Amino acid sequence: MQAPQQIRFSLASLIITMLLAACSGMSNQPLRDFQLQTPRPFGYVIGDTIRHRIVVETRSGMALERSSLPAQGRLNRWLQLNDVSVTEQDGSDGKQYQIDLLYQQFYAPLEVKELNIPGFMLRFRQHGQTLEQPVGAWAFTVAPLRELVVRQDQHGEYMRPDQAPTLLDDNEIVQRLFIALTVAMGIAVRLAWLYGYLPGLPKRSVFKRALRTLQNLDLHHLPQALGALHVAFNSLHGKPVFLHKLAEFYQSHPEYRSVADELAWFFDYSNRYFFGDASILPQENDLQKIKTLCLHCREIERGSR
Amino acid sequence: MTSKQTLSDWRASALQLEQQINRVVVGQQAAVRNLLIAVFARGHVLLEGQVGVGKTTLLRAVAHGLGGQYQRIEGTIDLMPADLIYYTYLNSDGRPCVDPGPLLKQGEQLSVFFFNEINRARPQVHSLLLRVMAERSIGAFNREYRMPHIQVFADRNRVEKEETFELPAAARDRFFMEITIDTPRDDAVLDDLMFNPRYHDVDALIGEMAASQIPYYQLNDWAAAIQQSIQPTAALRKYALDLWKASADPRAFGIKLNDVEMDQLLQAGASPRGIGYMIRAAKVRAWLENRDSLLPEDLQAVYAVTMSHRIFLNPMYSYRKDELIPALIDSILNHIAAP
Repeated sequence: MQAPQQIRFSLASLIITMLLAACSGMSNQPLRDFQLQTPRPFGYVIGDTIRHRIVVETRSGMALERSSLPAQGRLNRWLQLNDVSVTEQDGSDGKQYQIDLLYQQFYAPLEVKELNIPGFMLRFRQHGQTLEQPVGAWAFTVAPLRELVVRQDQHGEYMRPDQAPTLLDDNEIVQRLFIALTVAMGIAVRLAWLYGYLPGLPKRSVFKRALRTLQNLDLHHLPQALGALHVAFNSLHGKPVFLHKLAEFYQSHPEYRSVADELAWFFDYSNRYFFGDASILPQENDLQKIKTLCLHCREIERGSR
Repeated sequence: MTSKQTLSDWRASALQLEQQINRVVVGQQAAVRNLLIAVFARGHVLLEGQVGVGKTTLLRAVAHGLGGQYQRIEGTIDLMPADLIYYTYLNSDGRPCVDPGPLLKQGEQLSVFFFNEINRARPQVHSLLLRVMAERSIGAFNREYRMPHIQVFADRNRVEKEETFELPAAARDRFFMEITIDTPRDDAVLDDLMFNPRYHDVDALIGEMAASQIPYYQLNDWAAAIQQSIQPTAALRKYALDLWKASADPRAFGIKLNDVEMDQLLQAGASPRGIGYMIRAAKVRAWLENRDSLLPEDLQAVYAVTMSHRIFLNPMYSYRKDELIPALIDSILNHIAAP
C-alpha cells in the first residue's frame, strides 16, 4: 500500500508546484512570453539564408520600440540582414509581436567552422519606462561547398550547374487545355455563324446584306429595294422563289412560316409592281413594310426570332 | 378592243368546257388545261403517250365541246398525201367516182383533225400536213380549199420505234405544244377507270357532255382578242428573254446537268416562232386564271409543254433525251429569277 500513496503524494505536489509557478510567472514578469525560434544550427554553405522568428507577448500598455531592432543591411563582413518584418496582433490582455529576421551569410570557410549571429537588445516602453529583453547570439556551423583544390574530371569541369529538374507530367493538363480551347473555338464559330459574321457562309447573312442595301434606299428606288429582297430569298433558297412556289420554300425553310403573311404580301406586291398593269402607286408605307419584313427575316436568320 | 365583260364571259365558257372534259377524261387535269390553252391560242398539238390512256377520247371530247366537225386518220407506212385529199371508188352504177378525202370532206366546218400515229406516215404526208397546219388551206381539184378553223392534233406513240419516220425538226417546231399524256397515278381514278362501266362506251361518254358553249367558228377572233387584252411589262419581257436565251445557251446562265458537257449538249435552242408560241400560251393561261397581267408563273406553267420539243440535243446526248430535256427545262426554270 505504500507505493501508491507515495505516487499520489508526489503527483499532488507536482501539480501544486506547477500552478504556483504559473501564478508567479503571470504576476511578476513584464513579458508574458518570449521565444526565439531558430532553424537547425549546422550544415550551412555560402549564400544560405537563415530565418529567425521572435515571438513576444506583452502585457497591456507595453509597446515594442522598433528602433531597437537591427537595421536592414550589412551587419558585418559576412552577414547581411535582408529583411525585417514585424506583425502586431492585439491579444486578450496585451499584444503579441512576431518579428521575422531574414539573414544571409556569405562566409566561405575552408573547413567546417562555427559562426555567430550577434545578439541584440529588444526594448519595450511602458508608461515612460523602458524594459529591455536580450536576444541571444546564435551559433551555427558553415561548411565549404567543395574541396580546397578544384578537380577536373574526364568530362570537363567538376563545377557545374545542377542538373535541370525533371518536369512534372503535364500531358493531361495540356490535353485538357486543348479540349477547352477546341470547345471555346467551337462555341465562337457557332456564335459567329449565328450572328452572320462568317464570310464563307453567305446564306447566314443574306438578309444582313439585304438590310444594308435597303437602309440607303428611298421610295424612288423601290425596284432596287424589291430586287434586293428577291435576291436574298433566291440565294437563301438556292433557286428563284415565286408567289406560287412559296409552299415549296416553306418546306425547305419552315422557320419562315412565322412571317408567311408578310411574305405572301411581299411577293404579291412585287408581282403587281413588276408585272401588273401599272395601276399600283408606290407609297412610303409599302417601303416601310418591305424593310420590316427584311428585318424580321434577318431576325429569323440570326435565330433570334 | 373587246370589253372585259366579254372576256370574262368567254372565260366562264372555257372553264365550263374544261370541267366537262375533265368529267369525261378523268385524272388528266394538267393535260386538259394545256389542251385548253392550245385551243384558245389556236395552236396545233402533238400528243405523246402510251397506248390506251384516252388520247382519242380526249380529242373527241374537245371536238364535241367546240362543235364543228371532227376527222381522224391513222398514220400508216403506205399512206400517201392524196389519201388525205380524195378517194376514188366505183359507185353502185359501176361508175368511177372521186370524192373529197378526210381533209376536204367537211369544208370550212372542220375544227379538229386528229392524225393518229403521225410518225408511222411518210415524210410526204408530213409535208402536206405541215402546209395545212401553217396555212390552213390546201389546193385540190384546181382550186383552193380553206379550212380556217382547223386545229391539228397529232399523236406519237412512244412505245415502238420500228418502221417509223421521226418528225423532222421543222415539223416539230410547227406544233404549238407537245403534251404528254400519262396513265393517271391516283388509285381512286385508276379504280374508277377499271370498274366503272361508264367508261366502256366512248360514244355514250361523249354524249353526256352538254352541247357546245363555244362556237368554233369564233375561236380565231377570241384568240386574237385574248392576245390583245394582255400586255406584258418590261420586267416580264426581260424574264421571257432570259428564258429564251437559256434554252439556247444554258451555260451562260450557270446551268449544269449531271454527266453532261454543257457546251456540247445542244444543237439548237428554241426558235423565234417557238418563243412566240410560248408567250401566246402564257397569255391564254393568264386569261384562264382571271388576270389581265402576265406573271412569271404563267410562263413557267407553259414553258415545258411549248419548249421541250423545240430544244434539239446533239446526237451523242439524244439517246438520253427523255431524261435530259425535262432536267434541262427544270433547271432553266430554277435558275432564272424574276425580277
